[in-house]
Formats: sequence, C-alpha cells, structure tokens
Amino acid sequence: MLFIFLIFEASSAILYTPARVAALAGPDSWFAVSLGDVFYGLLVLLVAVALGKRFPAQVFTEYLPEILGKIPGKLLAAAYALIIIHFGSLLLNEGSTFIQLTLLSLTPPVVLDTVLAVVAIYGAYLGIEVIARENGMVFPVWALMVVLLLSLAAIDLNFSNLKPVFENGLLPVLRASSFHGGWRGEVFFMLMLYPYLNQKHEALKTGLLYLGSVMILAGTVHAVIVGVFGDLVTAPMIFPFERLVRYISLGNFLERLEIVVIIFLIAAYIIKLAVVYHSAGIAVASTLGLKNYRITLIPIALMAIILSRVLYGTYLKLSNYLFHDWPIEALIVELAIPALILLIAVIRKKGGAPDAQQ
Amino acid sequence: MFHWLLNLFGRNRQAGGPLKKPYPVEPEQEDRVLSKKLDDNKQVLAEIFDHCGDLVTREIIIGKQGSTRALAVFLDSMVSLETLEETTTEPLQTIQVPPSGVTMEWLMEAAIPNARVLIYNRWVDVAGEITKGLVAFFVEGQDRALLLYAPEIVDRPVMMPQTESVARGSLDAFNENGRLNLALVRKRLHTTRLAVEKVDIGEVTKCRINIVYLKGYVYEGLVEEIKSRLHRIRIGGVLGSGQIEELIQDAPYSPVSGIGVTERPDRVVSALLEGKAALILDNDPFTLVVPTTLTTEMQSPEDYYNRYWFASFIRLLRWSSLMIALFAPAFYVAVTTFHQDLIPTDFLSSILSSHANVPFPGMVEALVMVMAFEVLQEAGIRLPKPFGQTIGVVGAILIGQVAVTAGLVSPIVVLTIAMTAVASYTLTSLNLSTGLRLLRFVLIIAAGFLGLFGVMAVFTMATFQLCAVRSFGIPYLSPFAPMSLGDFKDTFIRAPIWAMRMRPQGYVEPVRQDLNKPRPPQPRQ
Repeated sequence: MLFIFLIFEASSAILYTPARVAALAGPDSWFAVSLGDVFYGLLVLLVAVALGKRFPAQVFTEYLPEILGKIPGKLLAAAYALIIIHFGSLLLNEGSTFIQLTLLSLTPPVVLDTVLAVVAIYGAYLGIEVIARENGMVFPVWALMVVLLLSLAAIDLNFSNLKPVFENGLLPVLRASSFHGGWRGEVFFMLMLYPYLNQKHEALKTGLLYLGSVMILAGTVHAVIVGVFGDLVTAPMIFPFERLVRYISLGNFLERLEIVVIIFLIAAYIIKLAVVYHSAGIAVASTLGLKNYRITLIPIALMAIILSRVLYGTYLKLSNYLFHDWPIEALIVELAIPALILLIAVIRKKGGAPDAQQ
Repeated sequence: MFHWLLNLFGRNRQAGGPLKKPYPVEPEQEDRVLSKKLDDNKQVLAEIFDHCGDLVTREIIIGKQGSTRALAVFLDSMVSLETLEETTTEPLQTIQVPPSGVTMEWLMEAAIPNARVLIYNRWVDVAGEITKGLVAFFVEGQDRALLLYAPEIVDRPVMMPQTESVARGSLDAFNENGRLNLALVRKRLHTTRLAVEKVDIGEVTKCRINIVYLKGYVYEGLVEEIKSRLHRIRIGGVLGSGQIEELIQDAPYSPVSGIGVTERPDRVVSALLEGKAALILDNDPFTLVVPTTLTTEMQSPEDYYNRYWFASFIRLLRWSSLMIALFAPAFYVAVTTFHQDLIPTDFLSSILSSHANVPFPGMVEALVMVMAFEVLQEAGIRLPKPFGQTIGVVGAILIGQVAVTAGLVSPIVVLTIAMTAVASYTLTSLNLSTGLRLLRFVLIIAAGFLGLFGVMAVFTMATFQLCAVRSFGIPYLSPFAPMSLGDFKDTFIRAPIWAMRMRPQGYVEPVRQDLNKPRPPQPRQ
C-alpha cells in the first residue's frame, strides 16, 4: 500500500509542480515541498486514518450516509464520486499532455487519453490487489532510476543557486507549500482504500512512512533541479524534472536519458490512474447501490476522457487549473470536508470506537 | 485478455449435457456382474466387444488331467503372446489341480506366477481392463475374472531431452510410458514420502495422470485443489499435457498458463523438493509442474549444475535476452518512426541512408521480417530432418541477403530481428517463448502507431494481466509482485546452494537445509 501512495506522489507531483514552486519560493523550494508541506499531509492523513478506523470495512462513500443521514450522505457521496472522476480526468490530461509534449507531438491527444484510460481501467477492472502488485514491481525500479539520475545530475549542482536561505522570510515559502499541498494531500485516497489495507493497524505507520519518504524525495528533486538550473531558469519550464535529466551528459555517450524518465512516468501515471478509476468505480457503485463496481468503469473512463478534453483542452487551461484552482479545491475536498465528517461522526457517535476495531 | 470486456456484458453461458458414457458398457448396465457359467460370460463378451477384430478368446483346460474350462481374453495388439504363453497358459495347462477344485484364490496364489494380478466381478471393470491391455481369465464356475499383465513393450528407450538439453547435468528424459516416467522420478527420490495418486481423465481415452508430490513438503491444499480441478473435467478424450493444462489452469483466457512443462525428471524432482506437485502423464513425455512462476520458467536445470558465478551470469544473460526478444523489434520501430532524436547523429545518418531505398515504414518492415522468421521457424520444425539444411540456407541467404539487396528491408531491421531470434532461443520454457512471440507482434504494432508510449501502454497492460494470474494460489510474478526480497536469491542470480537456506515464501516446510557452507580446515598459524 505504501508503494501505491509513493507512485501517486512520484508521478504528477515531481512532474508539473517544481517550476511553479520555484517561481513562488525561489531557492527555498526544497523546503517548501518537504518540511512546509508535511504538516498539511499529516493533517489529511490523521483525519483519513481516524475515519478509516471507525469504519474499517467500508470506504468513505459507503459510510457517509451512516454519518450524515441517508439523503445528505448520498448527495455528498455522489459529489465525491464526481470529484474523483474529475480528478481522474485531470490526471488523464496531465498524462496525455506530458506524453504529447515530450514524445508524440503530432498524435491527437484524445488518442493518448483513450489509450491511457483503456490500460488504466483494465488495471482497475482486475482489482486493487493487482494494481498494488504491479506497483510493487514498477516502483523499486523507478526509485532506483530516480536515485541514479539525480546523482548523475547532481554532478552539476551549484550550491550558490540554493542560497540565500529564506531571503524574503517564510511567507513566500509557505505560500508555495500551500500551493503544493494539494499533491501531498493525495494521501486522502486512504479514505477510499482503507478497507483494502492488509495490515490495518499499520495504516498510520504506512502513511507516516509515505510522508517521510515523499518529504525526502520531493525535497531532493526540487533541491537538485533548483541547484542545477537556478530558480529563474526553472520557473518558466514545463517539466523541469525531464529537462534536468535531459541535461545529463556523461562521457559523451550517456545522453538523452530522459526517455527512461518518460517511460517510467507513463507507467506511474497508468498505475495512478488505475487506482483513481478503481476508487471512482467503488464510489459510484456504493452511491448507486451497485454490487459490482466493474460495470461502472467504462462509463467512468468515457466521462474522464470527455472531461479531460472539454475542460483542459490546452496546456494553458490545465496549468491554470493545476496551479490556481486545484490547491483550493484540494484543501476543501481533502481536508476540510473529511475533517467535518469526522467531527460529526464523533459527535453523533457513529462507527466503532477507534481502538475497538482492530 | 479480453474476457473482462465480455464479463462486463454478462458471462458466457455454460452448456451442459450428458456425455457419452464409456464404450463398451452401456450406462444402464454398469452394475452388471459376471455369471458363473463360462458360456454366458462368453456371450456377453461377444456382445460387448462387438466389432473388435483384434479380440482373442482362447479356451483352455486347466490342469493336466482336469476338466475345468477356462477362457483367456485379450486384445491381440496390446499383449505379448510370448509372455502370456510362458507365464500363464503353459503352466496352467500342466499344473496339478488340488482336490478342492479350481478357485480364484488358488489360481492367484499358486498357479499364476505374474506379479500383478487383479480380480473383478463387474463387467465394466473387466472390459475396461481388457481395453488397457490386460489379459482376462474366466473360469467355469467362477463369477469373477482374473486380470493379469502381459504387456507388449512398444516404447522407445529413455532418450535425451529434445527441448531442454544441457551441457552438464543428467541426460535422461521422460517418454510416452507413464510407468517409466514414474520410475525416473522414483529413482531420484528414495523415500516413502513420495506420494503418487492416480486419476484417469477422459471418458474414452482414460488418460492416466499420476499426481506426484512429497508428503510433508507439498504446499498446503495443493493436491486437493489439483484433484478437484481434475475431477471437474468431463470430456470425451484428452491426448496429452497441453489439453490438461488448458483445462486446469487458473486464468482461462491468459496467454500464460502458470503451469510448468518439462521433460526432464531432474527438474520435476527439484520442483517436488520445493513443495510443488507434478502431473506425470501416460502417452506424453511432457510433465506438468504446478505451481509455476515466471522465475521458474526462466530457470534452467543447468543453472544448478554450473558454478554459481557462472550460473548467475547466465541467468542475467537470459533475463536480458528476454528483454531483447520482447522489445528489440518494437524499439527499432518506435525509434525509427517517432523518436529519431534518440539515436546518436552518426548512427542516425547510417540508418537513414540504409533505409533510403526501402519503400515501407519501419512497422511494416519489422512485421515482414518477424513473420518471415516465424515462418522459417515453423517450417524448420515440420520439415523432415534431411531438408532442415535447405531451410537454413534459404533463410540465411534469401531473407538475410537478398531481401536487403532487393530493397525490401533495411539491413538494420535484419540485424534486429536476427538478434531477437537468437535471444529468444536462450529461453528455457516453451510456454514462455510462445507467449512472448505473440506479445512481440502486439508490441511492434503498438510501436508503429504510438511509438514508445504504445510500447509502454501494451507492456503495462500485459504486466497488469500477469499480476492477476495465479498458479494454484501462487502469484505468477512472485517474488517480484508481491515483492519478497529474500526470494531474489534464485531469480536474476543463482546464489550458492549453501546460501539458499530457506525455501521461497508460502511453502509448508520453510527450511531447505542446515548451514552447509563449506569450511575447509584453516592452516596452522
């Protein structure tokens, strides 16, 4: 399960955000994404685990009606189903945009969307266990690659790019973290995955481990990117990480390594999409009272493809949403509402007591 | 692979109907028993073996001066007449009959020297055994029949393995004789723990399957699961391991079955020692081993005969060959069609100049060459041995040289496909390489349309599928997914034998051996 969350972060967060973070926090972006973010992630995680412990056998959308009463609960569950589908379309768009900009500039993006979605719903159809296994296989190789590539890139690291520390005080750095928090808060998918954890009592530990490793991963990636390029060069880039790897040149023959990154990021995106579609399927099925979530997958994929094209037809629309609306939406969806639900559950004494449910 | 689409629109319906009961006895006559009168039995026999021209019914009188009539019935084609005469008919005709008369017990204990005899009183059993090549003895006044073995040996001797040859290691292979196959396994395992359970599959073929496993070692519940799957099979006939494999595999639509196929007894034995079970068949030199994972498919028995440094090197080589065999053509297509910027400039110019007078895109080129290779391979298998060389020459000269000079394909693609072909021959498992050949086509087409992204999408889809496959409860991709680091000792590398102290996860008996690391005496200080 840990790997699933890691791949979550691994794919989109290090792909799209570093430029924006660099623009906001300058040389301190490594701090913004590691230490600054971790508190937000921690809050989301604590809420998600607390809710999960109260209803260990159900997913979020299943116990909403129990907490809120039938009709408001169902409405909120439906809203969450839509939010997750929308999130899926957003991801789809991120993935296809990335592929289009780096690999296949002439292919219509809707084709890329469709292929990504088909592979991902196949994974979602096979179930969360299969996705987790696939992930467990891809992730270690991916991690090894990242470490290798980062250390190759770090040869050209210039520490003066990382100075001065906290030039403008903490405020811009915290602004950058709050913007980046939406990605860190993806740990809220724990709400939809909790019943599938094989060691539930370790949910919190897993989540903390995830936050810790992501802290190191994101911090290092951002530090190396900004350290090599400097924050002014990084800010206007679209995919700074890909640029960074493209920059590597060793002995005149180890070049063009970004293809490795692209290939693994495609795999990471597919897995992340599969998890999201799986959660979306579960959410829709539980809202509509269906027994089998699989039947919902094809409509969900269709919706995601259409939404991805209609809402984020151009990169400008995508980046606008990612960098301006998503952080606010994430704060509400990932933290505020679940926290409120938790509060209501505690007050109305719904669900088992946290420690009685082991 | 597309069953999930089918499943979305409702499962395909099960068709059920009564199967033809085994000839020769009609279903309503299954309980029919033998009569005490020899003539009655003779009549029933004539009725049952209605059109069997090779049925021999030989009447004899038991004892030198006796008057007890007896009848020997057998199928001429399956019985060795010499053995029958020597061991049965001749002694019976000359023996002294005791005063108590001829009884089955007396026959069995004193008169017939054969080691294996059976006694039955139902026609369905008697007729069944006769069709298996046993000789049935009917005696006047007895309502039971004595069945004895006098088989005509029609087997070939134990030969070298055809598909899994090694440079170092034992060189015997299974053949079509199930008894002999069992003997080859028993020969290596002198223990009462070696269990053999027999199941006959097929209403007409009665294909004998020996489920072989080591008691106390075998994976929990495995044997029960195998038996329940075998008993679920209701079919007219099966001919060999391939059909059984398809009927019992976990994922019916999967291109890989998760069932190992081998013709080497040493491989079977090592599988048994790991807690697996083997299905040894009559009439098929290939034995099924379950559960089987991708790593086992990538192992060669030679890995355990060679030094571990070298064996590890070969393992790594084999894994990279797998990658080459799978990806090389697709990568060529993707790079030349979409991602020319990935090729170093000097190399690119030579590729482009060689590709200049080829009229087709990379995908067509690669598909043509791969198809040509597949055709050659298929022809090579079918052709009688003496023609084999012709194919080699035709393949090498026509496809390799002339196709290039004719401007049909570029030399680089010939090189790529040749590498692919050679690499695919390093794989030890037939099942794996057939699946790989199919996936290769899909990958080439995906690369032709979507470049490396297409390759990655297809590959991810395939690994999703593989992650879902289980082989009798064991995930096909273990120990990669789910990951268990301790079991990596026998995957990409082959650790020293003394270092592999534990069996892979999930087996009943976790400890494989004691600390056996060699400790030579230290020289005195």
